[in-house]
Amino acid sequence: MTRLADSHLLRAAVLPVTLLVVWQLAVMLHTPSPRTPLPTHVVETAWTLLKTGDLPLALLQSFGRVLAGFAWAAAFGLVLGALMGTYRAFDRALDPLVESFRPIAPIALLPLAILWFGTGTPAAAFIVGYAAFFPMIVNTIHGVKSVDPQLVRAARTLGVGRFTILRTVVLPGAMPYVFVGARLALGVAWTSIIAAELAVGAKAGGGSTGGIGQMMFVFYAYSVDLNGIIVCMVSVGIVAMIIDRGLRRLEYWMLPWKR
Amino acid sequence: METLTRASQPKLKLRGIGKEFVLPRTGEHTVALDSVDLDVARGEFLCIVGPSGCGKTTILNMIAGLAKPTSGTLTIDGKPIEGPGADRGVVFQDYALFPWKTVRENIEFGPRYRIGATMSRQERNERVRQLIDLVALNGAENKYPYELSGGMRQRCAFARALANEPDVLLMDEPFAALDAQTRVILQEELLRIWGEDDAGADRRTVVFITHGIDEAVFLADRIVVMSSHPGRINEIKPVALPRPRKPEIRADTRFQELVEEIWQLIRHEAYAATIKA
Repeated sequence: MTRLADSHLLRAAVLPVTLLVVWQLAVMLHTPSPRTPLPTHVVETAWTLLKTGDLPLALLQSFGRVLAGFAWAAAFGLVLGALMGTYRAFDRALDPLVESFRPIAPIALLPLAILWFGTGTPAAAFIVGYAAFFPMIVNTIHGVKSVDPQLVRAARTLGVGRFTILRTVVLPGAMPYVFVGARLALGVAWTSIIAAELAVGAKAGGGSTGGIGQMMFVFYAYSVDLNGIIVCMVSVGIVAMIIDRGLRRLEYWMLPWKR
Repeated sequence: METLTRASQPKLKLRGIGKEFVLPRTGEHTVALDSVDLDVARGEFLCIVGPSGCGKTTILNMIAGLAKPTSGTLTIDGKPIEGPGADRGVVFQDYALFPWKTVRENIEFGPRYRIGATMSRQERNERVRQLIDLVALNGAENKYPYELSGGMRQRCAFARALANEPDVLLMDEPFAALDAQTRVILQEELLRIWGEDDAGADRRTVVFITHGIDEAVFLADRIVVMSSHPGRINEIKPVALPRPRKPEIRADTRFQELVEEIWQLIRHEAYAATIKA
């Protein structure tokens, strides 16, 4: 790492570290209670949870559900979005439906999800997929519509058929927007998995649905361990950042013409 | 009609072409083209000049099959034009290169994806290599359009249009966005690639739209001079200058007289259009 990056990192760390120190001192000067998390205790708890493998397992379970939900959201979002962006008839028919469901928060579907799919992975993945579907479809539609019509005309004059144009011109042209949609979709998917698992976990009690959200619920409702909850929160943030960075890498690699 | 006798049947035949637009906001009717009759001979290099708004691009789009006339008929080899086809290559003013494809991928687009494409990968690669040689883009094969200069983009678009080996090349002000020097060089290149030194029958038929009268005189066998409101053919001027044409021909008095003659035909409208705008 260069000296410049070092100094940047250093400066960026000043504020958080100061806050942590103030927090630690503030709690230590009063009587510590289980209700007040302490930075040092958080680190301890994190270490224990890592050592036992509970935290990685929970994160992995949640991540699996996010991927499952995202996969179907991306598939439906891409296909429907491409159709709606290309054909006016599809747009007219589906737009009211999409726009009227879009404002309904994913978590509002929880009762349905639990009644239909129980308290396991399918219910959580359903919520996540629902949440991820909208950014995906909205951005795909926009991407398809923003493809330069001149490129489509050029392809037609080269004797290329309609469907091939959709595949070789419209979709590649829409890719930058699709990636924006995917990043937003994975973001909300990861956000809503916590909510879904928290709620599903509440319904399932201390049962074994797993996932980071349920782990939080257990810390909250059973062991009343606020340090554990903080550990979960921090790890959720870190995983979200890694997912986003990963997608950006993928985009950089897949869209060399946009660099 | 004497100039048409060198080929038995015209390659392109336009009869009574009219085009009306209705403005969606006001419902106002505009006559873009009014009963245009035009024959383009096989292997002919035809230029169309005229003031802005005379419908030259509309004519080109109709021949390309991208637009339909309101009245009249267009035929190629006697068959009506019903849509775009690989037999008519188009070079657009803004090039319309696929930004996510490299130079070689852009060039191979037609042979690879067109309806009924049968070329093997090897044949395609060979074709692309020849075209890259032809338009002198060696070394830029794997570059993306945004990495190219204007002149290189132009040559790439030209190679892409040639890749299908079309009988007819349609060019819509292809050199308009280039600087003057590049334009002059590419004009000479275009004549070389068109096959100025070959026998007339082996050449492609070219319809070339331009604002530049000197460009038209340098390139064309015949020049269609159009006028606007409504768009129609004002006059068709044969260019009697010998081929192959060398740059020195621009200094020839016949060259300059013809430029002046055509300018006189359109200057009133050009002034009017400029001042109105």
